[in-house]
Amino acid sequence: MTTPELVLDIFLTFVRLGLTGFGGTNLAEMERLLVGQHGWIDARTFANGFALGQLMPGPNLLAVTHYGLVIAGGWGAAAATVGFYGPTAVLSAAAALLWKRHSAHPWSLTFRDALLPFGGGVMLAGVLVLGQTSIHSWAAAALAALAFVILRRTRLNSALVVVGAAVVGALIGL
Amino acid sequence: MPATLPLPPQLEDDPPQATRPQAALPLPPTPLQLARAFVGVALAGIGGGIPAHTRRAMLNRGWLDNAEFAEAFTLAQLTPGPNGVNLAAMVGARLGGKRGALASTLGVLTPGLIAMTAVTVLLLGLPGGLPPALQSALRGAACAALAVMLTMVGPIVRVGWNLKAGRLPIGAAVTLLTFVALGVLRLDLLPVLVVLVGAGLVAHRPAKRTHDNA
Repeated sequence: MTTPELVLDIFLTFVRLGLTGFGGTNLAEMERLLVGQHGWIDARTFANGFALGQLMPGPNLLAVTHYGLVIAGGWGAAAATVGFYGPTAVLSAAAALLWKRHSAHPWSLTFRDALLPFGGGVMLAGVLVLGQTSIHSWAAAALAALAFVILRRTRLNSALVVVGAAVVGALIGL
Repeated sequence: MPATLPLPPQLEDDPPQATRPQAALPLPPTPLQLARAFVGVALAGIGGGIPAHTRRAMLNRGWLDNAEFAEAFTLAQLTPGPNGVNLAAMVGARLGGKRGALASTLGVLTPGLIAMTAVTVLLLGLPGGLPPALQSALRGAACAALAVMLTMVGPIVRVGWNLKAGRLPIGAAVTLLTFVALGVLRLDLLPVLVVLVGAGLVAHRPAKRTHDNA
């Protein structure tokens, strides 16, 4: 049952996830909150949503809309999407305007240098969590490795590689 | 040492012919033009690569030059949140102020929102959950999604990893500690952020007049 309390809870959770996703995607924290702490979705839905997000036009974290919709229908999707993208977009626009004025300030460089390695670590943690949720067999590991090699060696659009991997997955009954 | 912006990581799908604006528009773009441009970026960016497509769209229209784009891209890495959308908001703000930022953000999100909502409603409406073949297909897609992510990680991690404070390899240390704390130990992000970013702020603090603070 979708209550206003649940929608608000979803909104606040995704605000937090958006604002703590340094350097891109904070998958580790997202999985910890959505699957572990709240138990709103299971690990399978988490991995499915991420894969679907890769197939969609636009930013590859549209999985948040999927999660919101699964948790609480239309209101959940709206709360997750606006919460996740809204505050960070406002912050980015403000930062762009501020940076134009203050990029020479020594503390600007200090902040940048303090945040960059943290963002890298966040990203690596996300890879680990995503690997744990989506690689459950040698066949899956081989498919991921094959996709990685193809992406590195060719200029094939990554959506084509994802679609191709989906076809292979269906054929071999992954 | 770090007085210059780090170069943005090499973007995939980055044609050399797009490095120069082909025509300089005399007027800044209207919000509507920005929205339309970013809908195009979203449609081209199925499967990722939004920054690369944004760059091409902006340079081809003559709205930004390469150096301006590189700065916006680095800034988008530094602000929390999804990079592609942050980049759209930043470029939009730079070119068209608040309304430009709103138009660009909505433009880059709208195509995917429509598609994702439609697909999710279809999947949820299936009686008895996902059919096994579709489940297998999604598992396969998830493997490739992981690979897409892996190709992005290298260049982005390297930028932070190589940062040093004096001779201290603080960048590598913070990257590793963040990875262990969040990925292996699954700690809450906020305290980890406070401690490790705090350590970075101390290590990289602007030089004082004396050198004896250890």
